[in-house]
Amino acid sequence: MTALLQTLYTYSQITPEGIIDRYPNSYNHFVLPFVIGISFIMVYLLIGLIRILYHLTAEDRKRLFISLFTPKTALKNIKDIFCDCLLHTKIWKRKPLLGYMHSAIAFGWFMLIVLGHIEVALFAPRHLDSVADGALYYPIFYRFFIWMSPEHETLRGSLFFFLMDFFLLYVLSGIALAMYKRVRSIALGMRHTTKPSLADRVALYCLWAIFPLRLLAEGFTADLSGGSFLTKPLNMLFRNFFGNELNFLPTWWLYSICLGLFFLAMPFSRYMHILTEPLLIVMRNAGLKVRKPRKGFAEAEIYACSSCGLCLDACPMNTQKKNLKYSSVYFIRFLRRHNEKKINEIADKCLMCGKCYALCPVGVNSPDIRRAQRETLNHKLSFDFTPMDNFRLKENSEESAEIMYFAGCMSHLTPKIIKSVTSVLESAGKKFIFADREGGICCGRPMLLAGRTEAAKELISKNKKMIMESGCKILLLSCPICYKVFKDDYDLKGIRVLHYTQYLNELIEKGELKVSKGSSSMVYHDPCELGRGCGVYEEPRNVLRSIGELKKAEKERDESICCGGSLGSLTLDNKDRGKIAESSINNLTAENPQSIVTACPLCYRSFREKSPIPVKDFAEVVCENIKSN
Amino acid sequence: MKNNILIIGGGPAGLEASSILVKMGYNVILVEKEKELGGHLAKWDTLFPDGLKAEDLLKSLIKKTEGVKCFTDTQVQSVNILDKSYNVILSNGITVLADALLLATGFDLFKAEKKEEYGYGIYEGVITNADLEQFFKGKFSIKKPKAVGFVHCVGSRDEKACNPACSKVCCATAVKQACHIKETFEEADVFCFYMDLRMFGRHYEDLYLKAQKMGIRFIRGRVSEVAETSEGRLLVKAEDTLSSKPIKVTLDTLVLMAGMRPSESGYMVGHQLNLSVEEDGFFSTKDTMLSLQKSNLEGLFFAGAATGPKTLPDTLHEARSAAMEIDNYLTKK
Amino acid sequence: MVEFGFKLSPSSRINLDLRDKASFSKLVEIEPDALKCMACGSCTASCSAGIFEETSLRSALLGLQNGDKEKALKLLSHCMFCGKCTMVCPRGINTRHLILSINKIYQVR
Repeated sequence: MTALLQTLYTYSQITPEGIIDRYPNSYNHFVLPFVIGISFIMVYLLIGLIRILYHLTAEDRKRLFISLFTPKTALKNIKDIFCDCLLHTKIWKRKPLLGYMHSAIAFGWFMLIVLGHIEVALFAPRHLDSVADGALYYPIFYRFFIWMSPEHETLRGSLFFFLMDFFLLYVLSGIALAMYKRVRSIALGMRHTTKPSLADRVALYCLWAIFPLRLLAEGFTADLSGGSFLTKPLNMLFRNFFGNELNFLPTWWLYSICLGLFFLAMPFSRYMHILTEPLLIVMRNAGLKVRKPRKGFAEAEIYACSSCGLCLDACPMNTQKKNLKYSSVYFIRFLRRHNEKKINEIADKCLMCGKCYALCPVGVNSPDIRRAQRETLNHKLSFDFTPMDNFRLKENSEESAEIMYFAGCMSHLTPKIIKSVTSVLESAGKKFIFADREGGICCGRPMLLAGRTEAAKELISKNKKMIMESGCKILLLSCPICYKVFKDDYDLKGIRVLHYTQYLNELIEKGELKVSKGSSSMVYHDPCELGRGCGVYEEPRNVLRSIGELKKAEKERDESICCGGSLGSLTLDNKDRGKIAESSINNLTAENPQSIVTACPLCYRSFREKSPIPVKDFAEVVCENIKSN
Repeated sequence: MKNNILIIGGGPAGLEASSILVKMGYNVILVEKEKELGGHLAKWDTLFPDGLKAEDLLKSLIKKTEGVKCFTDTQVQSVNILDKSYNVILSNGITVLADALLLATGFDLFKAEKKEEYGYGIYEGVITNADLEQFFKGKFSIKKPKAVGFVHCVGSRDEKACNPACSKVCCATAVKQACHIKETFEEADVFCFYMDLRMFGRHYEDLYLKAQKMGIRFIRGRVSEVAETSEGRLLVKAEDTLSSKPIKVTLDTLVLMAGMRPSESGYMVGHQLNLSVEEDGFFSTKDTMLSLQKSNLEGLFFAGAATGPKTLPDTLHEARSAAMEIDNYLTKK
Repeated sequence: MVEFGFKLSPSSRINLDLRDKASFSKLVEIEPDALKCMACGSCTASCSAGIFEETSLRSALLGLQNGDKEKALKLLSHCMFCGKCTMVCPRGINTRHLILSINKIYQVR
């Protein structure tokens, strides 16, 4: 490493022959717009960074600081920044063309900047030394300031000429795709796109103009400063058309103005994400969580949103055009604009299905921000849970069974689920305590989702006491909403928290439960809280494959569409929920399965209201296919 | 020349209209999808308010239809609108060129298993109003109950069941059935869970009073959920809204008063003709007062529950006025 | 003054003239479903909190319309927000948002 640096350093000391500064003071007025722009954005960024750090809690700040110097997280930071900000691997995986477009612009531009600096470091190192020598702008406009004798063109120089032209072409191909996307977004796999704001438009048109202008500008100067396969032919062409080189100054001016304007518009536009995403990555990797909807970590999230609109296609509410405005991208836009009324309206409407978060290329956790926003209004509402204090298990827990089954509030409205779960347990010869046969205390998740954290905590502590006292070893849930909160927020030491899909899969794999394979076909719906919420995708599918023919939905796993029945939304009305259920069913029945299987009482109810084909619960299907010995 | 009239649906409306039209001298063809004529009437035991035997009514309705060409076990395969008539192909291969069409497609009973929380199809003791009539007819068995409950408005007045409208006949049916149960099992406690008791017709209030006198308990509250006790009985939860207290009661039989939904096979016919339906799914009539039997299509008429829930007397009235409208239409033509 | 041996005690009759119309219209404004209840009692019957202590959205709404704010708030104070009532409401009322809105408007701190 040091050897490499040393070589680089020695190299930089030698100014190769035939390279001359065309402007001895290395300054021309045209650099001004760029300098103003870049200075503005740097000051803006610095203030923003200080603000964000200031609003973090002391504990979070400490955690962030430590993480920066922990080799493991530091490495992960570098890897994530490289993959997410430059290569956009997340978009590549889902939509290759869109991924190419983003990486072309991001990675290409990054390489142009890096190579430009290396070039200056190699050939005109003194200009990097101080701001007075033009360190701020010189590498950007290097081709303008330098004169290179064609007789002295070295191999090293040619390589850079080639690389610079190559990456410029790379970026230009991305820009061309971006322009095409504006006209026909579906070609790049996007059905809905965001409506750009004024600042977005300014920045966008500048961004489109920057690289073609750079090509033109460098084309004009290619005979003086050197060039490669792109700029050289262009230069010949220009010379034939325009005759002399006097035309090139206006192009450099334009190039600089576009850059400057872009940077000036940046903080008010979607392109701010280019600079803030690395900060978000670093803070996320440090394990920070959203505490306030607009300050601290949340602010980093908000400014990292690229407003790309992938969440519009992801949002289950997009079945109705009027509900598109509740998508995360607009939520974050209003947060940036401090539009209090709109912010609350959107925060309350969301189903909290988490699909926008799962598909977000930047990883903006907007469900968390929405929850925090709800908390600002709802946490002060009072409640009284003292009547639940003396809740004790009714069932005789003297024989202290290993398993405790907690059906949850909703399952009591779907007796089929309770009946199937209990009879499967009985068939497997398992003894269990039915925690809430005659009703019990709510798991607390709905309260959490509504932003009433204190109330939720109280419910959690009451349930926790009941569970710990029972002496069970396994807590079995049939409702993914309960499962999520029991798993994430209960901290039940020594007790395995399992969703019934996981537990039945285990029983079947261990051979404690035997099922027979039928011929009927089915499709499995991933409930939001179970799939995206807890990452349980494989177990239910595993079981269903051993029972019948498992068909695929058009979109499944982390792309599955919410049933519309989610408790996450506070204000969505019944009709709109029905529309979402219909679109979710259409998605599931793409391959014409004989039945829909789900593992959540809410999905089960929402689908049964609308589905043309039978809707079954996971346990019900297992129950139907138990091999009797 | 005799005009052809095709009547779709061999329930009370179709039967009554066909018998009148055939007497007027028309060539009447009646199509019924089931093997037997009579529609829901054929599956019912007795009728409110006075306990008339459904079988007797049906017999007299059928007796009048002499001269009508009846095709049972037959469905409409396709309908085409011609210049002034309808070309109808039936599932038995016969093609009818009808000068007038009468849709008497009636209703389907709400599928009670859709209200999962009531446990129809899950708990043995939960049955529907139709099942209970079958029991009265001796074609369905239930264990001798100690306590019986009736749930009004199952799939009616319920947005969750996609039917916000009242089905009109369930209240009276429930009270009638409750009395019948009490007569059959004198020892049994009988409860009716209602939201609003809609006993609107002549003699209906007498029926209500009779039920009260028999000791049937009316509870103003909708059943919210049904669970199973460890002995396999039914634990029913509701709110007694009059005393503002949630209540629970253990029952052996719970009768769900399934409401009226538009007939699925009727919908299929209407769909081919592009007939408009209202939000409740029933066909829309030409207007809401003067032309209740007319549709927006020339020569196409309605009678009975195809245009919304109706009692039997209403249905029979409609059948008669439909017959008259058809006669007017064909004479003018 | 002539003493008559009895005093006018506060009437147990609900006085509709005294009800808080302004707050109720505010409630209707943020949750129009407040007007849709037909008092079937499904919400109360299915309520998870109801097994511990009297909890009833139906009664609470009636209370608000009759001007008994305290009773209404008490009837909702044990609500655990589980959403069962939303599921069973035949009028499709967004009960959870209604409860939240009632608390927001009527809870004075």
